[in-house]
Amino acid sequence: MESVIVTDNLRKYFPIRGGLFSTKKGEVKAVDGVSLAIKKGETFGLVGESGCGKTTAGKTIIRLLKPDSGRIFFDPEGGLSDNPSDDFKQFDIARLKGRRLKSLRRHMQIVYQNPSTSLNPRMLVKDIVAEPLFVHKICRGKEAEKRVLDMLERVGLSEEHLRRYPHEFSGGQKQRIAIARALITHPKFVVLDEPTSSVDVSVRASLLQLFKELQQNMGLTYLFISHDLSMVEAICERVAVMYLGKVVEVTEAEELFEKPLHPYTQALFSAIPIPDPKTKRKRIILKGEPPSPANPPAGCRFHPRCPHVMDICRSEEPKLEEVKPKHLVACHLY
Amino acid sequence: MQAKALAENEQLKVEDLVVRFYTYEGIVKAVEKANLNLRKGETLGVVGETGSGKSVTALTIMALTPTPGKVEGGHIYFRRSTGEIVDVLTLKEEGLLKIRGKEISMIFQEPNAALDPLYTVGDQIAEAILTHRLPEMLEKVGRLEGEETNGLWAFLEKLPFFKGSIKKRLLNKVVRQEIVELLKLMEIPDPERVVDAYPHELSGGMQQRIVIAIALACSPTLLLADEPTTNLDVTVQAQILDLIMRLKRKFGTSVIYITHDMGVIAEISDRVAVMYAGRVVEVAPTMEIFKNPLHPYTKALLESIPRPGSAFKAIPGTVPNLVNPPSGCRFHPRCSYAMKRCSRETPELKEISKEHLVACFLHGGA
Amino acid sequence: MSKTKFWSAEHPRIKELVFVLKKMKSSPLSIIGLTIVVLFTLLAILAPVLAPSETGRDPYMMPRTGYSPTPQPPSPENLFGTTEGQYDLYYGVIWGTRAAYRIGVLVVAVSALIGIVVGGLAGYYKGVVDEVLMRLTDIILAFPALILAMAFVVAFGRGLDSITLALILVWWPSYARLIRGEFLRVTSEDFVEAAKAVGCSDFRIMVRHVLPNTIFPLIIMASLDIGSVVLTAAALSFLGLGAPSGYSDWGQIISLSRNWITGAPGNPFAYWHTYIIPGIFLFLFIIGWNLLGDALRDILDPMIRRR
Repeated sequence: MESVIVTDNLRKYFPIRGGLFSTKKGEVKAVDGVSLAIKKGETFGLVGESGCGKTTAGKTIIRLLKPDSGRIFFDPEGGLSDNPSDDFKQFDIARLKGRRLKSLRRHMQIVYQNPSTSLNPRMLVKDIVAEPLFVHKICRGKEAEKRVLDMLERVGLSEEHLRRYPHEFSGGQKQRIAIARALITHPKFVVLDEPTSSVDVSVRASLLQLFKELQQNMGLTYLFISHDLSMVEAICERVAVMYLGKVVEVTEAEELFEKPLHPYTQALFSAIPIPDPKTKRKRIILKGEPPSPANPPAGCRFHPRCPHVMDICRSEEPKLEEVKPKHLVACHLY
Repeated sequence: MQAKALAENEQLKVEDLVVRFYTYEGIVKAVEKANLNLRKGETLGVVGETGSGKSVTALTIMALTPTPGKVEGGHIYFRRSTGEIVDVLTLKEEGLLKIRGKEISMIFQEPNAALDPLYTVGDQIAEAILTHRLPEMLEKVGRLEGEETNGLWAFLEKLPFFKGSIKKRLLNKVVRQEIVELLKLMEIPDPERVVDAYPHELSGGMQQRIVIAIALACSPTLLLADEPTTNLDVTVQAQILDLIMRLKRKFGTSVIYITHDMGVIAEISDRVAVMYAGRVVEVAPTMEIFKNPLHPYTKALLESIPRPGSAFKAIPGTVPNLVNPPSGCRFHPRCSYAMKRCSRETPELKEISKEHLVACFLHGGA
Repeated sequence: MSKTKFWSAEHPRIKELVFVLKKMKSSPLSIIGLTIVVLFTLLAILAPVLAPSETGRDPYMMPRTGYSPTPQPPSPENLFGTTEGQYDLYYGVIWGTRAAYRIGVLVVAVSALIGIVVGGLAGYYKGVVDEVLMRLTDIILAFPALILAMAFVVAFGRGLDSITLALILVWWPSYARLIRGEFLRVTSEDFVEAAKAVGCSDFRIMVRHVLPNTIFPLIIMASLDIGSVVLTAAALSFLGLGAPSGYSDWGQIISLSRNWITGAPGNPFAYWHTYIIPGIFLFLFIIGWNLLGDALRDILDPMIRRR
């Protein structure tokens, strides 16, 4: 009973339109049945390559997008069990609209990948960070300014940065501004969507440190989305691996990096270049390219590229099951 | 004079290059006396972050410095396939056209930005081939022409309007064959279909292979790669790196590979040059640089990489403003070993031990 | 906590303005444009001083020094001479500047406003809203502007107010198109989605986030348009659809010279002052605004790109 977010078979599809009257020609099944549980205070990693649906999943969980089916349970106090029964119906935010949806935004926030495009270039830093306070009618004027300054200092900036435009800052600083904006309403759950990808290598470490600090001081729960496995390993307690809209493996970070079970995870890890010229690792080079999420293969979605493919993989989709304590995999090998 | 500029085994030498940008915010001193050299057949990895000047340097090697940049000093000596040694910076447009795309090629970070969305992929590769290898293609056409016995075409050929159409048709055929061969070399599945595809119909990894195909279409002596795999998925990056290494061995091309990813550097480079704020601060063979980094920036960079099992440290401070860079050594405000001298004088790149050069007062003075 | 005063050199918007002015100094054409515009603005403001009107009269009506139809050349009493009906040209062109500004600014401002609303809604909400609003825009754009304006004026009845209204109705679609395109571009940017994530209402996003990022192209179009509007209004006045005879409006004044363009027998330019002088004012006004608009486009465009 310690989860903040629990999703149940979450699905989000994007229609492909074409033709004379923009009729629906097909669907991109970006998120196709994702069930996750994120515990209070943890940093939950979500990894996968482009097109796997991790960003869509993150945005759907915080209701920036409307799910097509499935449930999303959200309890800022972290009182959800892993399999919420119908008693928890009131925590289901999947179908919220209007004012109730808006009030949700105070408690769930997102930090985007590219701070150069996620900050309004024609707004001053102080206005960018203060805006959530106005929108949710928390405070105005002098009180708001005080809180903005306090938040900026927490992320490592100072008073002199208030009256500047975003383009006057470096990538790392801009990301800190974005973080300040996300945290100013003291949300309980924050989605970090590849927050270090657009930032210099030497600065990433300091951002990760900042995330950890803020998590401690403000009691935050993170969903850390990334394709950079070394970042994920450094900061996440548990990690889920996604492929083509589905979760293929979930477990504690250490366990995942030491003993990945799913063939895709194994290939993924072997592909990362290691900054050590002495290690010659055995690379599992996958055949072909990731298929399009509009036309996923039948059965196990990974089967066309899997080095261990069996007959059953072509016809039947494997279920996500606990094959070792706290280690779930969706694969017919187990 | 020029003949002495390059040693026997050197392919390229960048000497004291200075590039400045005249912008709204002031004069950006992007590259300040950078020195690099590349040996024949080797892969030189160039590491640096934002503002290090690595991309500007690469573009300048092809005399493609982006506006409002101006080259204000230095030489770039390049050994052409004819054996002649030229200073790229002194060449006029005519001379440059002979080199770009043919002897020096470049591939960039965003493949879909490098490909024209209005033309098929085949057309774009053909452009490279026709620009630089026309005589060779025409020769092949000449050989085929004699065999052309199709009655209708032979008759039409006599008419003034259709004159030369056989040649054109054959040229298309010959070039297309060449393109398909090239695509096969790039390990692109179903090359016949891909030739007629438009860039947006292909995935990022495929697009990047096309870009590489265009770059290698004329077997250049030097390939400049500016972060070509940064935007690609890890699994695709692995494939592309593999491909580049194999092609390099096959064609004997020298490669300058720019990246910020130390893992990639470890994998593919023979030697490494580290750039910071417009200067080259350390050059050494790959093993050496990981085992024994001398420059404080290189050390800090290696320490800031999160590695499985080890903690990592960030480098304090931020990349300097290049309009008003720090005096003396540009790294000194962030350097934990900074001495008084570092803010007053600029260290030169000096050879400390075999093959290992550093620009730092901690290791030999200026 | 110290507050930076709006007018101090440190405020970011003032820094922008200073930058724009400095950039203008570098191009001679920009300086010319800016100078002309400033001069005309002064002229318009100082009209009552430079050409005082009699109390009780509508200041826009030109004073007459007689009733003879033949225009008189420039003289000490009438600095620029008189036009048909002995209207004082000097007075006419000076107050004509005011009239030009009135029409120009009014039409451009109101068209832009309508355009922002229509284009903004279309570009933000897309879908059905976009289709409907754009078809409405297309209907108006399908007609040649001048003809449509004439049709409106005839329907409303002649007069400067009718011209103003007609021009607004004809002009707003181009602003709608521009703003719609800009809104489409900006709404696809991350920071708009980020604003939604913060919980901002649609209205707030459109006004506070999207609109300020579309300002530059709007400014450029507006400054180029002032000249076009004034020219079109002059054309309509010339055709007799505008102000009554004797009103200080450049187009109207030129219309009065219609019978005198051919001059006197043996002297084709005898009455040059009746059309050349108002013509020069019109010409300079439009060129000035066009040069200013071009200069702004050159300066603001890299700023947009740089951001």
